[in-house]
Amino acid sequence: MELNLTRIDYMQVGLTSSRCLRVIPNSAPKTQQKVVVGDHDGVIQLFTMKRGEVQFGFRAQTEKSITRLELGGAIGTIRDKIFLSSGNEVRGYTKKGKQFLGFDTNLTEEIKSMHISGSDLLVCGDYVYNHYHDCQDSNFYLAADKINDVITLPVERMKYLVPILACEDRLLRVMRDSEVLYSVELPSPPTSLQLFYNDGGENGDKLLYGTSDGKVGLVQLGRGSAMHCWVCESGTTVSSNSTSQHGGVTCMDHHDMTGDGVRDLIVGRDDGSIEVFSYEDGDESEPTLRFSMACSESVTSVQGAIVGNAGYDEIVASTYTGWIFGVTSEPMDRNMTSESGVVLISQDSKHKIQRLRAEIDELQQRVLRERDQYQAATQSAFPGISAVPFFSVNDKLTLNRTDASYLLSLEVQTAIDNVLLQSDVPVDLLDVEKNSAVVSYSTCDSETGNFLLATYRCQANTTRLEVRIRTIEGQYGTLQAYITPRLQPKCCQVRQYRIKPLSLHSRIHNFDPNRPYNTLTLKGQFTLPEIHAWVVFCLPELPERTPAGDQAEFTFVSTFLDTQLQCVYESGEAVFKSDNISTISILKDVLTKEATRKKVRLDISCEVNEESVVHALQLLHPRLEAQLLLAKQVSLIEALRELGSHESDTSFLSVEYQHIIDNADDLQAQYRKQPCHLERLYGMITDLFIDKYKFKGVNVKSRVPQLLEILDNYGSLSIQHLVNFFQAQ
Amino acid sequence: MLAPVFTLNLNQKIVPGRVCIGKYDGAHSCLTASTTADKVFIHNSHQRLGVAGGRMSLSQSSAEVSLLNINQTVSAITAGKLTKDRHSDILVVGTPTNVLAYDVQNNSDVFYKDVSDGANAITIGQLGHHSFPLALIGGNCSIHGFDSEGNDPFWTVTGDNVSSLTLADFDGDGENELLVGSEDFEIRVFKQEEILYEMSETEAVTALCPMQGSRFGYALANGTVGVYEKLARWWRIKSKNQAIAIYSYDLDGDGVPELITGWSNGKMDARNDRSGEVVFKDNFPSTIAGIVEGDYRMDGKNQLICCSVDGEIRGYQSSSPESRYSMMDSNIEQETIRELSQRRHNLLLELKNYEENQRMGSSGEILSGKPSTAGDQVGVIPANTQLQTGLAINMGSEDKNIPPHVEIALATTNDTIIRAVIIFAEGIFEGESHVFHPRESALSSNIRVPLYPPKDVPVDLHIKAMVGYKASLHYHVFELTRQLPRFSMYALCTTPVTEPQGYVKFKLTERVARIVMWINSSFLLLDDLQADDEGVLDVSFVSLRSNMPLIVQATPQCEITVRTDNMDLAGDIMQALSNYLNLEDLQVEADFPSELEQLGSVLERVEEYHATRQRLSAEMADHSGVIRTLVVRAEDARLMSDMQSMRHWYGELYNLNKDLISGYKIRCNNHQELLNCLKQVNQTIQKAGRLRTGKSKTAVISACRQAIKNNNVNSLTKIIRTGSA
Repeated sequence: MELNLTRIDYMQVGLTSSRCLRVIPNSAPKTQQKVVVGDHDGVIQLFTMKRGEVQFGFRAQTEKSITRLELGGAIGTIRDKIFLSSGNEVRGYTKKGKQFLGFDTNLTEEIKSMHISGSDLLVCGDYVYNHYHDCQDSNFYLAADKINDVITLPVERMKYLVPILACEDRLLRVMRDSEVLYSVELPSPPTSLQLFYNDGGENGDKLLYGTSDGKVGLVQLGRGSAMHCWVCESGTTVSSNSTSQHGGVTCMDHHDMTGDGVRDLIVGRDDGSIEVFSYEDGDESEPTLRFSMACSESVTSVQGAIVGNAGYDEIVASTYTGWIFGVTSEPMDRNMTSESGVVLISQDSKHKIQRLRAEIDELQQRVLRERDQYQAATQSAFPGISAVPFFSVNDKLTLNRTDASYLLSLEVQTAIDNVLLQSDVPVDLLDVEKNSAVVSYSTCDSETGNFLLATYRCQANTTRLEVRIRTIEGQYGTLQAYITPRLQPKCCQVRQYRIKPLSLHSRIHNFDPNRPYNTLTLKGQFTLPEIHAWVVFCLPELPERTPAGDQAEFTFVSTFLDTQLQCVYESGEAVFKSDNISTISILKDVLTKEATRKKVRLDISCEVNEESVVHALQLLHPRLEAQLLLAKQVSLIEALRELGSHESDTSFLSVEYQHIIDNADDLQAQYRKQPCHLERLYGMITDLFIDKYKFKGVNVKSRVPQLLEILDNYGSLSIQHLVNFFQAQ
Repeated sequence: MLAPVFTLNLNQKIVPGRVCIGKYDGAHSCLTASTTADKVFIHNSHQRLGVAGGRMSLSQSSAEVSLLNINQTVSAITAGKLTKDRHSDILVVGTPTNVLAYDVQNNSDVFYKDVSDGANAITIGQLGHHSFPLALIGGNCSIHGFDSEGNDPFWTVTGDNVSSLTLADFDGDGENELLVGSEDFEIRVFKQEEILYEMSETEAVTALCPMQGSRFGYALANGTVGVYEKLARWWRIKSKNQAIAIYSYDLDGDGVPELITGWSNGKMDARNDRSGEVVFKDNFPSTIAGIVEGDYRMDGKNQLICCSVDGEIRGYQSSSPESRYSMMDSNIEQETIRELSQRRHNLLLELKNYEENQRMGSSGEILSGKPSTAGDQVGVIPANTQLQTGLAINMGSEDKNIPPHVEIALATTNDTIIRAVIIFAEGIFEGESHVFHPRESALSSNIRVPLYPPKDVPVDLHIKAMVGYKASLHYHVFELTRQLPRFSMYALCTTPVTEPQGYVKFKLTERVARIVMWINSSFLLLDDLQADDEGVLDVSFVSLRSNMPLIVQATPQCEITVRTDNMDLAGDIMQALSNYLNLEDLQVEADFPSELEQLGSVLERVEEYHATRQRLSAEMADHSGVIRTLVVRAEDARLMSDMQSMRHWYGELYNLNKDLISGYKIRCNNHQELLNCLKQVNQTIQKAGRLRTGKSKTAVISACRQAIKNNNVNSLTKIIRTGSA
């Protein structure tokens, strides 16, 4: 069954944070519901829709921007009390607008996420988690990495409180009082949590999580351990555009949109898409995509409800720039063309448009006056100042594990005019399909220290820009984005992103001790915070804050090669283990340089494991072979197609060739998707070769051409050939 | 929304841009396109075409598709009525060396001609006063017009390789003019052999299509599409994708055709001819290969037919006036409201900026002079900061290896610094913008941005400078536009220069003062130039690119001499000057000894290459005879089970094959060289034309053509010098 949903705009508020829009449940089914929304200007408003017009319920103002809005109520009753967090304060309102709670949490950090369950209040800052029972401080926990979301399993079912923290280090931490009961490792950093079916499923122990790279997964949380049920990979459900990548999940909800009596999953993403999935096999397997729409800016909340018109289910959504709209099942052609071919616009809309026009005219006048005044100030000799407030930028730089590239997304509250990207390290920009901006590269002159200068000129009404970036390990520096919106007085803001030396590594929690490892040991007069700062300088996905305790341990995996890196350090000593000698070599170079800069004396010792090189080559081998095979297959496609066009029947071809013909489009898409993949692999092997001998104090640059020759003929040679070359003295 | 009236999948790959439609039997429309392996397929859903044999072979996979073997890369394809008395269309296929006119119905060649300049674009139709239709072939710098017999009564040259051609009644006199887009970014309008107008664009012109009256659509290689009405551009839009095909079709049934564009990312859109607003769009899963119009349903109406590279065909019907509004997104009121709210939102934001500015200004708490960091949430600079700009010529320095160039000097009026400068300009950078971003340590309040314009065109520079304080996270952006004069890459010379040998001499009935005015506006000069007291003008410039001198002299009687060895530059100057003075016709006397000498040697080389080609062809013919015998002998041996001999003969065959391949490579190189030479010849003729204006220009070009036909090198040089034989 296909879902047919159309978008209707309701209103625009200030910028919204993730999940600051809620729909208040009604006692009677299928009647229009109230919507409450809080924005960055600190305004909370409640509204209903009446014949296409917004009717305000109440409106209140807080001092700081609203970061989260939740509904609560005594257990067993309708949850229609509104709670919001703003700064480090939590407020409660009834749906009539009466404030019944004003609670200052005295947290040192601003509240980033919040959850209400009965009289239990859970709030989280960046790192701290705090539990209040009846506003009495009862539990406290300091997490090792940033907390993105907090939730509890339903108390009605579980009989006691089970808070769960979603942390940036790819862990779900299941809490018991002030302790972590156990943690669950996830494929990517979780950004959003939601109970399965909104109530945790049959036993109330099932939890959905959404990740920053667009996955949605289900876990069953037992008393002492968790079980992964399924993970819905981004892209696999929509086969037609498998090349494009999905945005991070910002919000989820369940509502029966298909009308089959089973609640469907609604997902909002930061790339502007809203999707509806239906559970066809219950909770057994991943749901199927039923509907997908794209708006041009990131979605901050979604909720299934009935708002616009009684009797029609819809998804109410808010976006970053504050648009609130419904995606409704109500057919939209009711007030369209008549037979005479004249567009009939309903009287209401006509009034609305007229009112807006008038308002705009008046604003225009005021703006013109102010603009003149501003211009006059620039001409006067009187020393005044021109102060323009910062505009909000919602930006993110995430590593994509599948193709080892970074995705930079920039979003501004108003239309972007142009973005200048500048980098002092060599990086490659890759094309993003949905990006409509016109890119232009400038020649870089090494004297000015630029390796990348690119401008993106955006089309009208673009508020969001995505850029894919490929980095090279070992090359580190800063990437800067100068963002200029189409807003007078024209200004631009600079955003800086560190490109780390080991930029293609990502955090994991399981270290495989059975690989052949090279070890780098550092000893010297350094403290734990100092060494932690150096490690943060080298590796991504680490918290800035020094971990608690005397010793820190982190494990990483290379997204490109699957080699591992383990860092164990304490004050005075640090040990790095990796089965890739190039990783160790990069770390050694960077740490030495950093220590010299800080004038810290270091004793560096390296233990090179000869086997590790062969091991790394064996890891590389299947990739290299697959790439060469793919390249070969792609080059045959044209010729085979020609054969195909001559013959009515291609069954006489060998199985291999038939396979190529049948999958030609897939192969080509795959080939296009990974440009320069082979070159990257060659680069890795060359680095491996140079680094292996570097540790022996031998410079083998002169032998690199020989190596490349072997690689060029790799298809006809065996891996042994390559291994032999590496082991030749 | 409008839905396609039919969709088909032909299961044939289509080469982008090589799609046409023809009624080869006079009644049924057949979609025709170039496909893989140098073939052309013809799709006829109504009846089986002819019989196999000759070029034609019937496709095995589909009964509706016939294939034509071309055996050379198809570079252009079109179909149209080439003979006046017959109603059926003739298919014309262009390849890099030949042009083939083919009668599909009778499976026979109409003519097959060598065109050494290649055929990059073809169009068929009535041109000017020619009484019969012509197939116009655009090649490397030249345009041929063939009639149905294969004669070429029309020939002319243009500035660079022709990349698109179309016919339209540009001046409204009832006769078609020829519009030519070429790789030197120009769109030229030819009335007969004479260039009526030239329009400079910013990239190679990849497609042209006539719309209504003197309106036409164009597409550029950088993803721009737009519409011109005569010389005025009504609108243009630029996308990061490539426009593969453009077509004009009245999709919404309002009587005015829209510009339909097929994009490389599979998008197809229809835009209002006046505003460029999208009235309809559709999406294909793969790149659009071509857009044509034809009656594919046999209902007497023409559909718009859009093809993708994967062989998917969709046909769209023009909507009737009654149902025309249903085409628009049904959410028109929603969209109006959204757009208005967006505008209100933007105005409110701007207003907020001014209010904050005033509040902070009057509170006096915040002082300027320090960088604005993340904690400040506000960017401050002194209100009276101004940005001063200047354009100047920098002669560079040899020891620092900086070539001479034009530079823009930017300076602020106080202690604020310029963090970065973005200059948007078309045609002078690799992309559309140039960024100047100095090192953090080298920031200052005045900077100089070097520019190296590669061509002599006037350019608007849109400058965006980011002004603030060092290490700031927020900068004020100053936007301004400066124009770079056409001949900015020529510096005024104060010291005497060696006089170049080449010159153009002519006499004008103008005051010298106007010439001086023209020089002042077209060159980058520190002070305005003056003629001396007697009204004599003598200025020397030196090119920043090649260091070659350029001298402009004028007597009080306005006898003007332009001296330079660069014939191109002389042409540019003559065209710019006659444009400035609105000259209708100008004959000149010219001499460019080095260029003419070169032309002579090029023509000699052309001879040589022709001779080589003939020799190689003969060799190939010899070989083919030997091949035949070898095959027969080898097969005989096989039948007699004499494996040793068979191996021997096949071995010989293999060797011969290798010879043939190496021979082919030589032929290829030879051909490439030949092409280059011919291009040079064509360009020289074009340059000679550009020294003149109006009728004299046309006369020179056709006289040159005649001289080349007669192989008369002496007369050719004479024509170039004096303008007539």
